[in-house]
Parts: sequence; structure tokens; C-alpha cells
Amino acid sequence: MKNLPLADPGTPDIRSATRYMAWIMREQGWTLVGAIGFGIAWMVAQASVPAVIGAAIDAVVDQGAGRALVLWSALLLVIGAVQAFSGIMRHRYAVQMWLDSAYRTVQLVSTHTGRLGSELNRRVAHGEVVSVGATDIANLGNFVDVMGRFIGAIVAYLVVAAILLRSSLTLGLVVLVGVPLLMAVTGPLLRRLNRRNQQARALQGQLNTLASDIVAGLRVLRGIGGEAMFDRRYRAASQDVRRAGVRVARVQSVLDAFQVLLPGAFVVLVVWLGARFAANGQISAGDLVAFYGYATFLMLPLRTFTEAANKLIRGHVSARHVVRILRIQPSVSDPADPVSPPDGDLVDARSGFVARKGVLTAIVSDDPRDAVALADRLGGYVEPGGDVDAVSYGGVPLGGVAREELRRRIVVNDTGSALFSGSLRSALDARGTASTEEIDRAVTTASADDIVDGLTEGLDAEIAERGRSLSGGQRQRIVLARALLTDADVLVLVEPTSAVDSHTEARVATRLRRHRAGRTTVVVSSSPLVLDVADEVAFLSDGRVVATGDHHQLMTTDPAYRQVVTREEAEDVA
Amino acid sequence: MRDALPIAGTTLFRSYLRRLGRDHRRDLVVIVLLHGAAAGAGLVVPWLVGDLVEAATEGSGGYGTIDRLALFVAVCLVAQTVLTRYARLRSSVFGETVLARLREDFVDEALTLPIGVVESAGTGDLLTRTSRDVDTLGWSVRFAVPETVVALVTAVCTLVAALLVGGWVALPLVLGVPVLWVATRWYLKRARDGYIREHASYSRINATLAETVEGARTVEALGLGEQRRARIDEDIAESFAAESYTRNLRTVFFPAVEMGYVVPIVATLLLGGVLLDRGTISLAELTAAVLYVRFLIDPVDRILNWMDSLQVGATSLARLLGVAEVPDDRTPTGRTPEGEDIELDDVRFSYVAGREVLHGVDLELAAGERLAVVGPSGAGKSTIGRLIAGIQGPTEGAVTVGGVGVTELELDDLRRRVALLTQEHHVFVGTLRDNLQLALDEPGTADDDRLWAALDAVDAREWVEHLPHGLDTPVGSGGHRLTDAQAQHLALARVVLTDPHTLVLDEATSLIDPRAARALERSLSAVLEGRTVVAIAHRLYTAHDADRVAVVEDGEISELGSHDELVERGGSYAALWKSWQS
Repeated sequence: MKNLPLADPGTPDIRSATRYMAWIMREQGWTLVGAIGFGIAWMVAQASVPAVIGAAIDAVVDQGAGRALVLWSALLLVIGAVQAFSGIMRHRYAVQMWLDSAYRTVQLVSTHTGRLGSELNRRVAHGEVVSVGATDIANLGNFVDVMGRFIGAIVAYLVVAAILLRSSLTLGLVVLVGVPLLMAVTGPLLRRLNRRNQQARALQGQLNTLASDIVAGLRVLRGIGGEAMFDRRYRAASQDVRRAGVRVARVQSVLDAFQVLLPGAFVVLVVWLGARFAANGQISAGDLVAFYGYATFLMLPLRTFTEAANKLIRGHVSARHVVRILRIQPSVSDPADPVSPPDGDLVDARSGFVARKGVLTAIVSDDPRDAVALADRLGGYVEPGGDVDAVSYGGVPLGGVAREELRRRIVVNDTGSALFSGSLRSALDARGTASTEEIDRAVTTASADDIVDGLTEGLDAEIAERGRSLSGGQRQRIVLARALLTDADVLVLVEPTSAVDSHTEARVATRLRRHRAGRTTVVVSSSPLVLDVADEVAFLSDGRVVATGDHHQLMTTDPAYRQVVTREEAEDVA
Repeated sequence: MRDALPIAGTTLFRSYLRRLGRDHRRDLVVIVLLHGAAAGAGLVVPWLVGDLVEAATEGSGGYGTIDRLALFVAVCLVAQTVLTRYARLRSSVFGETVLARLREDFVDEALTLPIGVVESAGTGDLLTRTSRDVDTLGWSVRFAVPETVVALVTAVCTLVAALLVGGWVALPLVLGVPVLWVATRWYLKRARDGYIREHASYSRINATLAETVEGARTVEALGLGEQRRARIDEDIAESFAAESYTRNLRTVFFPAVEMGYVVPIVATLLLGGVLLDRGTISLAELTAAVLYVRFLIDPVDRILNWMDSLQVGATSLARLLGVAEVPDDRTPTGRTPEGEDIELDDVRFSYVAGREVLHGVDLELAAGERLAVVGPSGAGKSTIGRLIAGIQGPTEGAVTVGGVGVTELELDDLRRRVALLTQEHHVFVGTLRDNLQLALDEPGTADDDRLWAALDAVDAREWVEHLPHGLDTPVGSGGHRLTDAQAQHLALARVVLTDPHTLVLDEATSLIDPRAARALERSLSAVLEGRTVVAIAHRLYTAHDADRVAVVEDGEISELGSHDELVERGGSYAALWKSWQS
């Protein structure tokens, strides 16, 4: 059996939930064949036990405790061994499929999440994606797992029906017609169950979102209080989930009762008819015992049918959920004929902003939102329906550049940049290509040496989830060093030093200029210390560039600019 | 490596179960009775079938006896069906109730977890416990527990019935016991740890996924896709190793058990055949004996199978209860602070044992005073703020408000006295109204007028009025997106609503753009009026206006005094001030 995870989870069929499930099944290949094969052997072995017992009893009746009894008993033992072996092999294959489909789904969702990037947060709530890992993979795994047994159950059912048909046409027909008929009875019940399960699932999802919210906001809650209120909200939502669960239980319990009634009705019917046939001598005593055995055995395939139906429903709900996430497409797609632009000026037609090649340009805006929007545009991050071609790089509109190349060559480091758990080295060296010297250089530029030195294990130290073991200022400097290490052709930094003290900020600004000498760099900032080192400053008013020049020039010639830059100094309270 | 949150030990585990049993005794009794009755009705069936076989082989009574017996079997079946339905419903309702209580208790505990513990354990762990463990436990509570009870009742009854057929049946049955006993013991001894490791591996997968989701933009921007993928593959590999281990356990256990079932049947057949041959027993007795021995397999197998689930459920429960084992970092003493003065007395603090970040800080704050805390990044400014706000207790020394230690106060009580506002903000999923009311004791207590007044106080009325549904607009993840400034407005409005006498501002406006910050500052000054303020700043403008300035360097307060005093002293503050002004 293959080792997991797979190097490549494959390309899923996401046209619909059903197709996704079918795709997962197909991907199982020989494992699925093995699970089905052993599933059949396992079920059929069990189905043949009553016949052997019946034959053994008849042998005793006919010949006493002789060779025949010993032979039949030995055969029973062998069948038992076959059943044990095929049972465990089936299980091993089924577990493999469970894990394969669960891990595959996690890999797909995780990779897709990374690909969607900025789009994701706009399109779907965090809790919803996280609940893929929490519940959906289990549902999908359970669905795949049950398939081997399901097909085994069908075969076993047919085998038993055939045996019964040979012994008695009436009994055979009762089984052949009765089972599907009674299965059909549960159909409407299953649909209702499906509906209620979906409602419960939605509520559970909301509850999970609420729970992830708790964790994300716990630090904030601690600062301002509100645990009690949160607790009450959680309780209210939890009670909703409980009520939905009870609604599911009302239908589920009827279904469970049917699982007693349906096979039970078979036992009664088969044994009653069998007893009548035995009474008038049509069948032997051993046959009657065997029939009773078949009738009770049929509970297993029947139970497997309902179990499969149940898991199919849950699996489908989860598949729909997964497909919904996987189907979210970036609003900007790769062009048909991507162009690789030459390194050149970055020009935004909407604002009139130009970042000249090889130059450090700063952006100051009277409304900082405009500057942030401009930075996003420069990186080709547009709202749905936005015009990605408003910006061109080296003369090529961004819409004509392949996404991957665009992200590689133009890196926008916004204020929401996240740090991930892992070693400090992996946090810094995003592309995994930098040498220790390069890392050291970037760390020095970002004035983050003290952070690395302060950790006993230096670059190999683990940083906590979301970089929470670091202070805000430390995180910002590590993030800056990481951005520098991408060595992008164009680096756009949004407020890269807002959380560090003035001393450090001045140092970082000077070193940044040196570090990026000859490379195109754009910095959104309103700190005079940063503006001072920029080759060129563009001043935005109402989202358009109204003045350009160096910092000192603008300070003396543009009163509006001066007001914006100095205003900051007069007002920062905390 | 992350330090996982603790897992409950046996003592806590048992006492919790006992308490649960006590609180729901009536429900439990009814459920056991219902299931018992259902199992009883089911057991009558094979006994009647035995009679049927006899009636059929005798062939004397015609069809009359057979039909009557069959009808009787049918009646029992209907009874079993109806009883099963209500037994299942009752246990499901009970299960849902217990589950709700469990997860609510759990969230209760999670909400009071010391922040430091949550930060070092990682949020994925907590997240998995609230979702996956709650689900797994749900499965156990809803199915495993009642099924085990039913199977036990059935097994005992079947055993009795088998022995009633003839004492000799005990012999073949006993043959199966050693295999089952040894295999089960061997398995269960290893299974628990195996499943705990398995669960932990899913926590890691979840944590990694959650991180990727939250940092999705960064992943895209920096092309971190490969790195994140490697990370999740690593987590999956660990999960696969854990799963493979338990699968191998089962590979030994399952076949052994199955052989344990076959051996008694074969033995019954052989022994019964011999006895029948010698005329010691009748054909009917042999038939009944074989049937009962076969009938025993199902309940015994169910018990063994459910033991697995019970164990898995117990593991989940242990993980949920484990959160309660984190030692509380607060010990409410019931003392009431007198006055609003805040005092730090020789405070030392370390996040990690052995690495002290504050080395003896002394500070007294008079009510209504404004203190600015300045100093280079990483010097311990934020830590001082967290300690004053009672987010964490000092490792050594004391932080008191009105003479009472901050960690001696109930959290809610403390929040009404001291609040902390940081640059980190979080808009909670829910309506804007929910977000405002978070900090209040009772959600209904703030009528809209009070909420609007608070929004007015922080200059936020205008944008709130422009939201699609005003106060009822859904915000937070998946809802209307608020800007940083708006989120900070909300935080400020909450401060107005809770009305603490002391406010710690930890660079509260530093991540907000200058223009918004300016507007926010106006709002802020209205909020600060009349309160003691500790403003932690990396820029010096704040210091200039404060009553006193504390310069924090290397985990100590190196200078303390008014702006003018410190400038005059010519120390490091004076140097900083000079460099900043140039």
C-alpha cells in the first residue's frame, strides 16, 4: 500500500459534488479493487456459514458423528479463517482509501487556499474552510470506506438469493423482491434525514466559526472583557445545534427502528415459510436451520445498505462543501498568451503613478486608503470587476502577465502580512533559495539582528503560530526581511516600519535604500524618516498623483503635502 | 515545538463522568430500561424460532402451531421495533443535551485559559478540540454508549439461554474466551496511546490549514504555496504514521477475535454431534445450541467494536476536559480594591522560564494620571502594559489596583477597572451590536440609545449609520468588512460602554493610517477624559504631553519623570528626543 501523503493529489473533477466523489473513487485504483474483492470474499464467506452448518446437522442426522461431521466442521473452520483474513485485508484497504481521500482533500483545499490568496477571505468565512479539516474529510473518508463493503453486500445478497432460489422458488423470490422493496420504503425517510442533516451541518459550521472566532479573538477579549457575553452567544448557538440534532434524531430513530423491523420481518417470513416447507417434508431440518441462518445473515448486507446510504448522504454534503471552496476561481485568470514583461517602469493609469525602474519611490496620500488601493493595484490585486490592466509593467498590462510570474516579480508586502509557524529560517526564506549570507543581509537591513540573536537557536528557532511569540514591532521587521529576501524585481512595501520606534525606523530606511539599490522599490509611508531616503515621492490627492519630487522639495513647495506629512507628527497619541 | 494543551487524567475524567451520571440519573435509567426492553423483545425471537423448528420437524400439529408461533414472533418484532425507536430517540436527545453541555463547559474553560498557554499551544489544538473532538465524542455518546449497553444485555441473556439448552454448551464457549481475552487486552493496552497520537495529528493538520487560510493573501503574495504545502504534507505524513500504527494493531486484533468466534461454533457442532450420536441430546437441542452460540457472536462483537469507539470517545472527552487542567493564572480572593491607584512592586516577568524580560519594575500610578511608556522595541513596554491590565500575572513581585492584586480579581470585575487597547483588533463574527455589547454584563442591558451614545462619543455614528443594516449589520469573518480604523472605533466604543477607570493603550493607533489616526485620536481624547492612562508608544509625541514619562530599556525602567525633567536630566530619553527632533 502506498505511503501517504501523495506527492501530487491530482486534478479533481469539481463540476459537481457527485463528480468529485466519483473522481476520488477512481483515484483509488487498485486499492478500491482490493477493497471490493476482499469485501466480497468476506461477505460471501459469512453468507456460506449457514449452509455449512445446515449440511453438518444433516450429516449428523443421516450418518451420526462420523467423518462427514468432522469434514463439515473442518470446512467451517476454514471458512472462518478465510473470513478473518479477507475481513482484515478489506479493512486495511478501506483504511487506506479513507486516508487517501481525506488527505487528498486537505491537500487540495490547502493548495487552493494558497492559490486564491487574497480572494479567499472575501469569498468565504474562515471557519468554513477550517471545518473541511474538522469534519468534511471524515465524511468523505467514511463514504469511500463503506464502498468495498457495500459492493460485497450486494454480491452476498445475490449469492444468498441464488441459494434460496435453488432450494425454494417462493423463498428465493421473497428475498429477491422483498429486500429492494423494503429498501425503497426507507427512501423518503433518507431524504428527510438528508435535509435535516444539512441544517444541522450548517449550524455546526456556524458553531465552528464561532469557536475559531473565540480563539482568534481571545487576546482581544482579554483586553476589553466580554468573555461572559461570548460565552452566552456560544451557548445560544450550541443550543441551536442541539435542537437541530434532536430534529435529526427524530428521523434517525425511525430509521434505526426500521433497521430492526426490516431484517426482522425477513427472519419471520423466511422461517415461517421454511417451517411450513419443513413440516410437509419439502426441505430438511438442516435446510431450515440454514434458512434461519440466511435470514439473520441478511441483516448484515441490509445494514450495510443503509449505512452506505447514510454515508453517501453525508459524504455528498461534504463534497458539495469542498467543491464550493475548490470552485472559487480567482477573479483574474491567467491570460491566454502570457507575456513576460521586460524589467521596466511600473505605471498606473488610474492615478498617474509611475515607479521608475531601479528607483526607490515613496507614496504619500491625503487619504491613506487610496495609497493602499494603489499598492494593491500595482501588484495586480483587484476587486472583482476591477481593471487589472490599469497598471502596466515594462509596457505590458498586468492582465497579460501570468499570475505566477506576476507574483514572483512584483511582491506587495501589505500591513496584513502573516507570519507562519515553523523555523525562523523558513519564515524568512519564503522561496527556500536564500543562502545564510543573504538571510543575514536582509535581517540586518530590517534591523532584526536583535531578534535572531535573542533566540537561543537563532535561525533554527521555532516561531509560534502566526508569529505570536514575537512582538508587533518584531513581527513587522521579520516580515520586512522576508519581503526583501524574495529579491523581487519590484518590491511594494506598505507602511513597513509603522510599528517600530523612530530610531530603528531611521536605520531601516537608510539600509533599505542601500539594499534595494538599482532595484525598483515602492514604499507607502507618511513617515518623514522614510520619505527622506526616497529618490522620488509621489503625492496622491483624491487618488491621483498631484505632485512628485523629493521629500524636501515637496515640503517646501506643496503646502498640502506638508500638512499631510507633518500632521502625523502632531497627532500620534499612542 | 508547540506545547500541546493538557489531556485530562483518570481522576478528573472519572469524577466528571460521575457528576454527569448524577445530574442525569433519571434520563439514564429510562434509557437503559427502554434499551433493555427492546433487547428482551428481540431475544424472544430465537427462542420462538426454536419452537418453530421443533413444530416443523414433528410435523404433527399441522400448520396451526407454526402459524401461531410465527404470529407471536411478528408481535415481538413489532414491540422491539417500537421500543428501539423510543430508546434511540431518548438516547439521542440525551446525547445532544450532554454534548451541548460538554462543549459549553469546554468553551467556558477555554475562555478563561491563560493567554500564555493558548499562545504556546497554538490555536489549532483548541480548534480541533471544539470541533473534531466534540464530534467524535458525540458519536460515542449517541451510539457507542447505548449500543454497548444493549449488546451487554443481549449477550448476557443469550448466554443464559444457551446454558439453559444444556450445561455442556459452556465447554465450547469457554474455548473461545482465552483468544478473545488475550487479544482484547493486548489491543486495548496499545490502542489508547495510538488513538491519542492519531487525534493530535489531526490537530496539527487543522492548525496548519487554519494558518494558511488566515494568511492566504501572504501565501499568494510571496509564493509561499510550496512551503505551506510542504508543511501540510509533513503533518499528513505524521498523521499517516499514526494511522498506520493503529491499523497494524487492528490487523492483529480483528482476525484473532474472528477466530475466537469460529472456534466455539465448530466445537459446539462437534461436541453436540457426538452427544447426539450417543443419544445424550436431541436434534432440537443441538440446533438450539448452535443457533445460540452463533447468536452470541453479534453482541460480543458489538461490545468489542464499541470498546474501540468508547475508547476513542473517552480520548476526545479527556482532551476536552484537559483544558480545565490548565492551572488558572487568576485566583479570585474576593477582596475589593480601594481606590484606583495602580502599583507595580519589584515586578519580574518571563514568558519562558529562565528568560526574564522584566527585571524588577517599580511604578506607582495615581488616579487620573497620564503616563507615557517609551523605549526601543522589545524592551518590555508591552509586557508592562499586559501586566498592568492583568492579562498575565507577574512571575515575581506584585501588580495591584487599589491595593488588590490584578490576578486576584475576577476577570469581569477587573475589566470594569482596567482595560487594554492594542493595535491588534478583532471584529467578532456577529452583528455590530453584538460586537459592542461583548463587554457588557448582560446583553440586554444596553438599549440602542446607550450604544449610539457610545458610538457618538467615539465619532463613529456616521459610518455606522451608513452600514446596510446599521447596528444589525453582520460583521467579522464572512460579514461586512470593517476598516482598521472602524474596528478600532468599535474597540473604543466598548471602552466607553464598560467605563474602566484605567486604560492601557499599547500603540493602539500605530497600525492605522495617519488621517484615520487623527480622527481616531479626537475620539480617543474624549474617551481618555478623566481616566488613568498608560500610553505605550514608540514615537515620542505622546511622551511630550503626558504627566510623566517612563523610559523602558532592557526590561527595566531606566528613567521616570516629566518630559521636561527627563530632557533636563540629559539621559537616554533626552538623547532619543533629540534624535527624533532632528
